[in-house]
Amino acid sequence: MTETVVKLTDVWKIFGARAEEAMTAVRNEGIGKPEVLERFNCVVGVQGATFEVPRGEIFCIMGLSGSGKSTLVRHINRLIEPTSGKIEILGHDVSQISETELRRIRAQQIGMVFQHMALMPHRSVRDNVAYPLEIRKVSKSKRWAVSDHALGLVDLTGYEDRLPKELSGGMQQRVGIARALASDPEILLMDEPFSALDPLIRLQLQDQFKALVAQLQKTTLFITHDLDEAIRIGHRIAIMKDGVIVQIGTPEDIVMNPADDYVREFVQGISKLKLVKAHSIMEPLDSYSGPTEGAPRADEGADLDQLIDLAVNTDLPVIITDGGQDIGVVTKPRLLRGIQGGKND
Amino acid sequence: MTDATAELKVTAASDIEVDRDALDQSIKEFAGPNGDYYVNAFHKIHDATSAVPNTFNLWAAVLGPFWSASRAIWGMFWTFLILEIIAWVQIGRGAWGNPGADLAERAARQQDRANELLGRAADATEQADVDRFTKLAENIQRAADSSLEKAQAAQSEALGIMITGLLMLLVFKLVQGFYADRIYEKQYSNWRIDPESTESGRSNRNIVLGAILIAAIGPLIVYKFTVNASLAMLDAFPEKEVSALILGEGQGTLFSTVATWMEAQIDAAALAGGDVFDGIVAGVRSVLDGLTIALIGSPWPVVMLVICVTAWRAAGPRVAIFTASSLAYIALLGYWDVAMETVALVGAAVLLCVAFGIPLGIWFGKSKRAYRAAEPVLDLMQTLPAFVYLIPIIAFFGTGNPPGILATIIFGMPPVIRLTALGMRGVPESIKEAAVAFGASKWQLLKDVEVPLASPSIMAGVNQTILMCLSMVVIISLIGGGGLGKEILEALQYAAKGPGLLGGFAILFCAMVIDRIVQGAFRREDEKV
Ligand SMILES: Nc1ncnc2c1ncn2[C@@H]1O[C@H](COP(=O)(O)OP(=O)(O)O)[C@@H](O)[C@H]1O
Ligand SMILES: [Mg+2]
Repeated sequence: MTETVVKLTDVWKIFGARAEEAMTAVRNEGIGKPEVLERFNCVVGVQGATFEVPRGEIFCIMGLSGSGKSTLVRHINRLIEPTSGKIEILGHDVSQISETELRRIRAQQIGMVFQHMALMPHRSVRDNVAYPLEIRKVSKSKRWAVSDHALGLVDLTGYEDRLPKELSGGMQQRVGIARALASDPEILLMDEPFSALDPLIRLQLQDQFKALVAQLQKTTLFITHDLDEAIRIGHRIAIMKDGVIVQIGTPEDIVMNPADDYVREFVQGISKLKLVKAHSIMEPLDSYSGPTEGAPRADEGADLDQLIDLAVNTDLPVIITDGGQDIGVVTKPRLLRGIQGGKND
Repeated sequence: MTDATAELKVTAASDIEVDRDALDQSIKEFAGPNGDYYVNAFHKIHDATSAVPNTFNLWAAVLGPFWSASRAIWGMFWTFLILEIIAWVQIGRGAWGNPGADLAERAARQQDRANELLGRAADATEQADVDRFTKLAENIQRAADSSLEKAQAAQSEALGIMITGLLMLLVFKLVQGFYADRIYEKQYSNWRIDPESTESGRSNRNIVLGAILIAAIGPLIVYKFTVNASLAMLDAFPEKEVSALILGEGQGTLFSTVATWMEAQIDAAALAGGDVFDGIVAGVRSVLDGLTIALIGSPWPVVMLVICVTAWRAAGPRVAIFTASSLAYIALLGYWDVAMETVALVGAAVLLCVAFGIPLGIWFGKSKRAYRAAEPVLDLMQTLPAFVYLIPIIAFFGTGNPPGILATIIFGMPPVIRLTALGMRGVPESIKEAAVAFGASKWQLLKDVEVPLASPSIMAGVNQTILMCLSMVVIISLIGGGGLGKEILEALQYAAKGPGLLGGFAILFCAMVIDRIVQGAFRREDEKV
């Protein structure tokens, strides 16, 4: 079992002067978001969020704007204090640590990337990336070396001495990622990092980012309002609505078994080709009696996309293997049903 | 075909009827008493297509301002209260006033004198005397006749005045009658948008208020303008009598008492805080001395060279050439030392403004409450005429250059404070949040993010402060400040045109050189970012 890096337990955030009162009322009377607004003039940002993120996982938080994603994630580096609940990083309760210790954790263990880049316009790209180290009073030569290395990771070698405004939006966001990586943190918090970018640049950056995180093994909380993006990037996805996490699961989980109508509506337009795997649509080998001679083979983890590539060149079904052993077949009808929504008739 | 159209029309009309119901309800709610009348009137106004009024509010015409007060239309109330009073004054002058009174009196006096002279002529024994008195009497009789004629003319004019007044009153009444409903309808529209703060209906409070205002203002004014020998009490405020009433007979006026008291207070404060004030003066003086030594103590060619090179570096060759010729003008006319004194004075004031203004601005930028508290003070510092605070400055700090610098600071500091605060508040939240997220402390946030990002605004504030300090150069010579201002003041005192103009140009050149250099430096700064 891998180590849990971030753990939230029943975290609530209520904004407003009378947050404590409102929290008590929520606990005792179970009143909802509109009533809290009406009675206490407080906004409920997050309602009872509970989840764990193990090391190296990309955990996506998906929801419409205003659903409380940013608020939730800002609890982890305590940019926002919870009204109630517990937040742990590597087993330490962040609400217990001192101001100095908090700043050290922010500078060393948590890197953050923002939707609007939030680069300092008066500093060069290199000095922007080096800023987390500068805060920790790392020497200039070390700082510059580290920052140049981080810029190399995001393919920005050669732009070190430019000012941020001389770079395109996509490049600026890569500077933001480099800055978050500079102090080699344990955790990355990404608050809609690609939302402000053009679709093409966004796709490119998503792939780049996924590869980078896989290589660096960073535990990542990735906020997005785009389910496609969440599915492309996330190992697991949490779906938020009005401050509540309505479902947590793998992309396949969410697409195949939406928890409620809200999630179902989101999932409807999503292409299943990359999500549905062979093992969930195959027919066991014993119940299949047709010809298999010369049929193509695929692993049980192969997705529909790969299965289609194999099936177009032959009239035969695709044989599914697990560890070299044939375990089932995917016939054309099953493949078509799978594309439709993964249902076995 | 025709049927269908008719039917269509009927449906459309009935639709409108439904709308009207809701509207009528709301108009009635707004108008309160007499709702039906206003429903009717507003309908007519809503249906009207021209600006010519098509309703007449009889009560508004008859009651005039009293009506507008009862309906809380205060703008209309004041306008027509004043206009009607003007009309009433005319009527009063015509009816009760006596425009020819002066002249008639004079005519009577002259008549008496003429009669008296005639009597003397009759009594006289010598022919020469008889002739003389008769002649005189004739002359005076003629004058009396002419006065009487004029008096009668004035008397008959009175009728004209009264008729004018009546006509004016009639016109005002008609205007009110015709426009009352339109104006009230405007108020209704406002009420629909903002029912909280727009008065509606008719309230007893407003009726009483209107009645009191009309009763207090109308009769007094009409009396004052109508009656020839009005009460002295109404002409001028009875300041002496009120003073005597408050302070007791023979105790002087309120003015002298308060002024004496304030003087004593200021003297006491100056005495009590003497050390503090002396300390401030000493502090300011040390800054000034430092600058003076640098500017006047150094050999003049060095200072000149440094200024020209600064101009070149900051603002380019053209400004450098202008600077060199300005300095040549100043030096050739013998103004070098005083000009440098002026530069030292302005420089010291600017340094102190910046040293205190930027931290204050940072504080005000961060704390909304502090800024709200300071805002009126800043306004006062900028709007108070310099002459007003020169007096307390003399009282507390004496005369000479340091108090002059203090006066300059009062006037010059607000822009740098304001613009620093503005700049601080303009720093994007997201960039601040990013710095905090990477572990920045409050101090690091301030020095790495807030101040650098606010610096264009801060620099604009410094620039404005410099210009404002320059504008005080002449004024501070009134309290013993030296430099070019003193030259101008002396020239002014002796009406010495030549020296005054030459000195004036010297100040102008100083100001222009400083302004150009600073502006140029900012332009370069802008190009860089
Ligand atoms: N500082 C704040 N004060 C009051 N309400 C806030 C504050 N920050 C966020 N909110 C409210 O909390 C809710 C969630 O906001 P946010 O977390 O920014 O949503 P998201 O990032 O999903 O778009 C919104 O309704 C927002 O108005
Ligand atoms: Mg957000």
